[in-house]
Amino acid sequence: MTIAAESKLRPVAAPSAYRLWLRNSRASGVLLVLLLLCLWEASARFGIVQSVNWPPFSAVMASLVAGLVDGELLPVFLSTLWRMARGYAIGCAIAVPLGFAIALWRPVRMALLPTIELLRPIPVPAIIPPLIFLLGLGDSLRLFAIATATFFPVALNTFAGVRSIEPIYTQVARTFGVPRWTALRRVVFPAALPFILAGLRTSLGLAFIVTVIAEMIVGQDGIGYYLVAMQFALRAPEMYAGIILVTCAAYLLNRLFVAWEARAIRWARLADTAWGDAA
Amino acid sequence: MSAAALGDKAASVASPTPAGARLRIDEVSKAFLGPDGGAVEAIGSVSLDIEPGEFLAIVGPSGCGKSTLLQVIAGLMQPSGGKILLGGQDVTGEPAHMVYLFQQYSTSLLPWMTVEANVMFAFNHRLKLGKAEAVARCRAYLAMVGLADFVRHYPWQLSGGMQQRVAIARALAAEPKVLLMDEPFSSVDALTRLDLHALILDLWAAKRFTAVLVTHDVDEAIFLADRVAVLTHRPAALAEVVATKLPRPRRSIETRESPEFLALRHRLLDYLLARGKDGSHASPA
Repeated sequence: MTIAAESKLRPVAAPSAYRLWLRNSRASGVLLVLLLLCLWEASARFGIVQSVNWPPFSAVMASLVAGLVDGELLPVFLSTLWRMARGYAIGCAIAVPLGFAIALWRPVRMALLPTIELLRPIPVPAIIPPLIFLLGLGDSLRLFAIATATFFPVALNTFAGVRSIEPIYTQVARTFGVPRWTALRRVVFPAALPFILAGLRTSLGLAFIVTVIAEMIVGQDGIGYYLVAMQFALRAPEMYAGIILVTCAAYLLNRLFVAWEARAIRWARLADTAWGDAA
Repeated sequence: MSAAALGDKAASVASPTPAGARLRIDEVSKAFLGPDGGAVEAIGSVSLDIEPGEFLAIVGPSGCGKSTLLQVIAGLMQPSGGKILLGGQDVTGEPAHMVYLFQQYSTSLLPWMTVEANVMFAFNHRLKLGKAEAVARCRAYLAMVGLADFVRHYPWQLSGGMQQRVAIARALAAEPKVLLMDEPFSSVDALTRLDLHALILDLWAAKRFTAVLVTHDVDEAIFLADRVAVLTHRPAALAEVVATKLPRPRRSIETRESPEFLALRHRLLDYLLARGKDGSHASPA
């Protein structure tokens, strides 16, 4: 009976090359993006969406290239990038040491954590209008907003990272009499690094968003201001070109960060999947 | 029968100049804060004298506080009472000449450092050797444990037994006078364990550090040690200290089959199993 049952089992057919390709290739994902872009192009060209504010994709790309070449869009975009980089750096420079301090010293933790938890849920764009009274419309306001948005994920991740260190790591440092500062630099910091980098990555995306919003509100320069200005001027292709530029930049920046992160903490990924423990 | 056998000197401490130091555990006790706010006594009061270059094993029923005792000796934990004397000197904090070998090899080696960096990190902030000298020292100790070809590997690229060898090399490269071992062989497979037993005995014979091994494995304790200290159930107290008096060098198979070995094994297991029963009836928890 078991033999009969077994004989009904058919060998699993090897999937065809085409199916394998379909399953593993990134082509389908890229294809969908292309399809959507074609749809955009067609909807504008064949009048499916009839509006002067809905230019075809090709027109947007043409204006993007023109904007980058003739030098209207490029300086605007670069000023945004530079502003974001500064705000992000300020936020991180405060958040990482503070995260360590909160994690390592109980009094600091007791004093600061409630305030941090209370301030954290405030959406940063919401405090920009009141901050205009305090900081004016200059660069400091925008930098403050970007740094604030950057601060929370980085500080809290650093805190969590340092707190969740394997206790043996610090015991190893102690049994070999490693001085505190050296242990902090060579044991605690690397052990917490996967958490810290996750915080930095989250903040990178946030910093981009807040930079553009702050520029929209303050309105002097930068891509946020540019988008609003182009909208007022009814220059739809330039507006969409700006959006595409910011999107591509944010996407690329994230990809670069992820690649760098994977290299920096390669050990964390591989140590988790090591076969060593079994042998 | 507190420390009746203390006078029973280790027969095999025959090396002319042991590099190890005399370790004295003087009425050490340890209590923790219990969940109900009361004190939970982990170690009652333990006194032990360990000769320079001696190999002492501490066995006891699981959960009796033997690892706690070792952590107190290592200065990783403060005792509630009593003191630790190294070479006659009171030691507090992490004493410079004691090194703790952890059970968990996979976490005691730092995964972001290569094997060589792990070893160098452990000794060089104290010895402050130049780069070339430090590297040579790393290589020498890794060669001693048979891992000369793995300096550039990361710990997680090695098998469990190899990782524990790196941990041993790292501990000894710091040239401790006392090596404290917390069940370092309990997480590797049986054959690897026999290998590591032979290795640690070779290294001990060569370096003559004072060795204190905490283990729940009676065979391991008898095979390696000059004397075996038996602890009671929590709160840990010294039940007895037995000199093994087995000839050295010990041999992986023959020593374990000798009548003396088997008699000791019988006696200690008999005691521990009976105690285990007593304890489980007596303890309310």
